[in-house]
Amino acid sequence: MDALATVCDAIAQTNSRLKKVRVAAEYLRGLEEADFLLAVRFLIASPIADTERQLSVGHAKLREAVMRVLPWDEETVRLCFREVGDAGEAIGLLLEGHTRGDALSLAEAALWFQRLHAARTANAKVDLLEKIFLTYKPRTLLYFIKVITGDLRIGFQARQVEEAIAAAVDVPHAMVREAANRSGDLARVAAAARRGELEQVGASLFHPMDFMLAKPLEQEGAIENPAQWVVEDKYDGIRCQLHVGNGRIAIYTRGLDEVSGSYPEIVAALRAVPHSLIVDGELLAWRDDRALNFTLLQQRLARKTVSAQLLDEVPVAFVAYDLLYANGTLWLDRAVEDRRAELQRVWGGLGMPLLLAPQEGLGDLDAQFEAARTRGNEGLILKRAGSVYEAGRRSGAWVKVKRALATLDVVVTAAEQGTGRRAVWLSDYTFAVRDGERYANVGKAYSGLTDDEVRELTRVFRGLTTERFGRVSLVQPSVVLEVAFDGIQKSPRHKSGFALRFPRIVRWRRDKAPEQADDIARVKELYEASLQ
Amino acid sequence: MRVDHQAEGIHLPDIDLWLDAREPVGANWISHAHSDHARGVHRCTYGTPPTLALYRMRVDVPEDARLCALAYGDSVLHGEAKLTAMPAAHIVGAAQLLVEWRGERLVYTGDIKLQRPLCGVETRPVPCDQLIIESTFGLPVYRFLSCEQARERMVAFARECLADGATPAFLGYPLGRGQEVVYALRQAGVPVQVHGAIARYLPVYEEQGWQMGGWEPYEAKAGKGRALVVVPGMRAYLEASGRNVRVAYVSGWAALSNARTRAGAEFLIPYSDHAGFDELLALVRATGAREVDVVHGYTEAFARILRAEGIAARGITHATRQAQD
Repeated sequence: MDALATVCDAIAQTNSRLKKVRVAAEYLRGLEEADFLLAVRFLIASPIADTERQLSVGHAKLREAVMRVLPWDEETVRLCFREVGDAGEAIGLLLEGHTRGDALSLAEAALWFQRLHAARTANAKVDLLEKIFLTYKPRTLLYFIKVITGDLRIGFQARQVEEAIAAAVDVPHAMVREAANRSGDLARVAAAARRGELEQVGASLFHPMDFMLAKPLEQEGAIENPAQWVVEDKYDGIRCQLHVGNGRIAIYTRGLDEVSGSYPEIVAALRAVPHSLIVDGELLAWRDDRALNFTLLQQRLARKTVSAQLLDEVPVAFVAYDLLYANGTLWLDRAVEDRRAELQRVWGGLGMPLLLAPQEGLGDLDAQFEAARTRGNEGLILKRAGSVYEAGRRSGAWVKVKRALATLDVVVTAAEQGTGRRAVWLSDYTFAVRDGERYANVGKAYSGLTDDEVRELTRVFRGLTTERFGRVSLVQPSVVLEVAFDGIQKSPRHKSGFALRFPRIVRWRRDKAPEQADDIARVKELYEASLQ
Repeated sequence: MRVDHQAEGIHLPDIDLWLDAREPVGANWISHAHSDHARGVHRCTYGTPPTLALYRMRVDVPEDARLCALAYGDSVLHGEAKLTAMPAAHIVGAAQLLVEWRGERLVYTGDIKLQRPLCGVETRPVPCDQLIIESTFGLPVYRFLSCEQARERMVAFARECLADGATPAFLGYPLGRGQEVVYALRQAGVPVQVHGAIARYLPVYEEQGWQMGGWEPYEAKAGKGRALVVVPGMRAYLEASGRNVRVAYVSGWAALSNARTRAGAEFLIPYSDHAGFDELLALVRATGAREVDVVHGYTEAFARILRAEGIAARGITHATRQAQD
């Protein structure tokens, strides 16, 4: 773990993607198999092998434990956390001179993560952390904690870890990437790569894999040969992957988080399904044969328990539209027509709340789009005949047809540093509409501008910064952006009470002053209209 | 000795002496030549010879202004009080001031560091009863490299960039850091181009014995195969120029990785002309002061840490100053 910390420091100290990969690959190449696998796991900030389980070690426990080791008062320690902006880094820096400085091997680190996971009570976890904090080198502990908090923040994404694995074992990056997409389990892929068994890595139950994504029609241009496409409605719900089998059921979101507990009616219905399956589809609030507004579905998000009343008020359905695995057979690499036929066979006719997305041939695109909107859906998804399921890719074999609900001129009130390539820029913008004399936030967007524009805006926002909180700078309301979006929902997060769905920046309105931005009344008007 | 913290600066009313006054006053001590410390024209100004020379370069001082130079270790009588200048290592000429009056000893550190600087005279804690100290980096997350480690990192980064065909650019403030970086790189034989705002003060450093030898002035066109030492404002311009520039940030703030975004740099070298937390604490302890005023930076937090050690410490904030006015 000490060597891994040094490697992470070196990765952080360069912007060159090639250099980052080279440093990591050189390190990985020199490791025995067991250490190799652990190092990969820690590089993707995964403390324990079982990805479904969590350590349940949050900032509060970390701070409590570090307080026991340090001589300073809580206010000072809190101030340090705030100035540093990252729990792992703050703890690593604070512990300098307060630990024994023993060496920590990767295997021992893994063991500590296991123990932290196994400890039942909060107190037991804090006791363990205290012991850990007293023992090892502060720079190593800095990364040990970052693995727990789930982000190393060294500008090294999963894709680059794949590249490093590929370089370390001398196989083409594409092979590692494809295996990772299929299995959704980089640690397993690393093991297979090391043993030369990458081709054999397949999807497996309860390892959620990346979702296949669609390209927007605007990027694809016109659809050339309509006969080669099939069409489904594009639903405005929560994209999910169902895993069913071995007496277990799991629902994973795009973030690969498990959310089964929030949807007991879906889980209950799935128990009656006599197959083992991995199915791609959408969770929707559903009543009287149609999807309800996303705002209603929101009430069901992130709940640990769901009341009978809520189940009654906001019933949900799962609309399946693709099949990845069924009864021991992998369907990923089969043509869309074959996947559809098998999906129909194993899933068709199950009835509420387990539905099957209707599919038809491509005809009059505009008419089909309007029909989908009339059914309460967002637009269309086109799937190219003969195409396979490309996990984690946006290849153009799927095309989405959406049309923006409207655009708004908004004012930027805060700018946050981006990640990866954009880490040195203020590239994520929180924006607001006018509300009397004040500005009320309605959303956050980071896509749509060119690198040159982002670079220029970064300079502008540095000059407008009024206050800083770690990665976020509050800025004087001055810059006006035009944003397009697909919907409006109620939101407790923003002061305005509303949030735009899928906002993206259309252009920087250099010609407009903040006084000319849209106001809250316009947002309310659009919201009311969208409920119709 | 009474100490008043006022909007215009720190005032010692018993001997009517100001410390780093921000407005024109009677008698004033300038700890060093940074513009937040050396400003305004006063009836009588004390400072070390390099500080007064820099002060003249930066502030329009009339010919008849009374400047009283006090070299390190030298003393002068100011009314009943004896003033002695001691090294502070912060930038060239930076000094602590020891005030001895009716058997009491007060020390004002100005900006200070305890570790040996790349260019500068080493500091020693000055025993006293009362201490006025800065706390720019007065939180226990700020710890810095020694000057040898910092030099190694600067030179290694510059050489690696040059070997890759890239241009290393070091960001530094015009007075202090910039000259230290030039000195470290030139000592190792790395060719450098220096921005005018920094180059302007190189002769003052050379006069004090740190020979820079063979630097070139910064030019927008040329510069291939050279390391650049420029002011922070140049970064965006250099990046926009389309050159393959890689930016290093040499600063105390570089101790935290969020400095990458704040400074827009990829390579961080946590080296400062201020004391890190451990140095500050060691300095206070070594002076033996029982009363401490903390005047800049994390004043409240650092004062609280001192109070926990049984020292009567005050964190001086804007609010305290207003209350005393």
